[in-house]
Amino acid sequence: MTEAMAKEKATVKYDSQFTKKVYEMENGKWVKMCMQCGICPTTCALKEKMDLSPRRIIQLIRAGRKDEVLQANTMWLCTSCYACACRCPRGVPMMDVMHDLRHLAVENGINHNSQSMAEVYAKDVSKRGRIWEGGLTLNYGLKIGLGNFFKMALDMQDIGKNMMFHRRLTLLPPKGVKNPGKLREVLSRAAEIAKREGAH
Amino acid sequence: MKYTYYPGCSSEGTAISYHHSALEVAKILGLDIKEIDDWNCCGSTVTSSVIGQFAADVLAARNLALAEKMGQEDVVATCSSCYAILGSVNKKFADEKFKTNANDALGKDELSYSGGLNVRMLLDVMVSDVGLETIASKVVKPLKGLKVAGYVGCQTVRALREFDNWENPTFLDDITRTLGAEAVNFSHKLKCCTGAMALSSPDVTISAIYPILKSAHDAGADLIVTPCPLCQMNLDAYQIKVNKIYGTNYNIPVLFFTQLMAIAFGLDRKKAALDYCIVSPNNALAGFGA
Ligand code: SF4
Ligand code: SF4
Repeated sequence: MTEAMAKEKATVKYDSQFTKKVYEMENGKWVKMCMQCGICPTTCALKEKMDLSPRRIIQLIRAGRKDEVLQANTMWLCTSCYACACRCPRGVPMMDVMHDLRHLAVENGINHNSQSMAEVYAKDVSKRGRIWEGGLTLNYGLKIGLGNFFKMALDMQDIGKNMMFHRRLTLLPPKGVKNPGKLREVLSRAAEIAKREGAH
Repeated sequence: MKYTYYPGCSSEGTAISYHHSALEVAKILGLDIKEIDDWNCCGSTVTSSVIGQFAADVLAARNLALAEKMGQEDVVATCSSCYAILGSVNKKFADEKFKTNANDALGKDELSYSGGLNVRMLLDVMVSDVGLETIASKVVKPLKGLKVAGYVGCQTVRALREFDNWENPTFLDDITRTLGAEAVNFSHKLKCCTGAMALSSPDVTISAIYPILKSAHDAGADLIVTPCPLCQMNLDAYQIKVNKIYGTNYNIPVLFFTQLMAIAFGLDRKKAALDYCIVSPNNALAGFGA
């Protein structure tokens, strides 16, 4: 390897801007708080399925390893179960850090089914103030593409049928808040404030 | 005892049986609960990844502002996720800067919140405020011989750690015993069901709920009770998938704890909202006239 190549490799691997960016996000201060004790991976129910453990994610953020962090499935598999947050000696709310990372991954063009679901969900919230669980499934299906949707529908038809039969999914959206326009104004003001404060 | 009530979106769909049975049981226990007027979705744990943490916090805070307009009563949530979100946002109001910024945004809807309310979980209210003695005094049909696995789930006691023991919770089992049933030794009572991931990654959910169902089955449970809408839905609706994939033959009904209370209080199956159960509870509850 030439010196130039080695240099390039090193710069690709270490991205200090990335570390800074994560620190600036709403839950970034927690990334600084972690003392790398390794307790969180031992409590995490899904660590077997995760590319990187929660502790390792924090370590790699600090090391500026942007690509490895953002491409990991870890943040998408975090269920917000709070098990790690309870046991963490520093009180790090790992699930909140994971949500920031999802946000950042999407900004960098990396998406996952969970985020498609979250986007459909957030859209419903801003439209009506409340979500409609029945519609959620449908809109999610449209978002992930018809082919994928049919596959999912086929896979899940027994569950869907049961839910319908037991009247657990409503066919029409339940009523929303009285003035969703006002709610949207609140949310866009909140987004402005977050931006002003340096968050994303 | 007065409360304002935050039903959450699942009360209108997948967890409608929780909503109905909780209100029926509350009536019997003399709890005065008023639904928060014009409440909105709490944002759950997913919206922050789309609209950002602060906006998601403000979304949840709008409910607290509305609750405050109705009085100084504690806000009670039935859903574990709503409770976790509303409760943690409530705590953030202790920070002056957060409060000023949040109220700035809420001002767009002529709302503001002082940060002075308490957010409570219905399970906590039942044990800490109503009390097991009062619950016992309303039991007309003791559930003698019924074996119940109390599935607390992950967020209920862990998100805020403000009630019960978060490493070894007992509230749910205490209620079960107060109703005359037996609380079986259930090792998976705090294991995560993967919540909303059931829709985007069903295979992950199925592999997570299999050991939970197995643990309840091995403990000899006739049914499972839970205080969380996602736990209920995942264990109930996905049980059929577990059976298919793991070659098991589980047939364990999954009820909200308020439904079990309704049965023990002598309410009919309609008031106990039993018909919404996917795995039928009819056999398990046959001896109790439900
Ligand atoms: S909150 Fe997320 S990272 Fe923490 S234990 Fe649960 S799934 Fe794992
Ligand atoms: S438990 Fe807390 S301090 Fe320990 S590695 Fe995990 S986040 Fe860091």
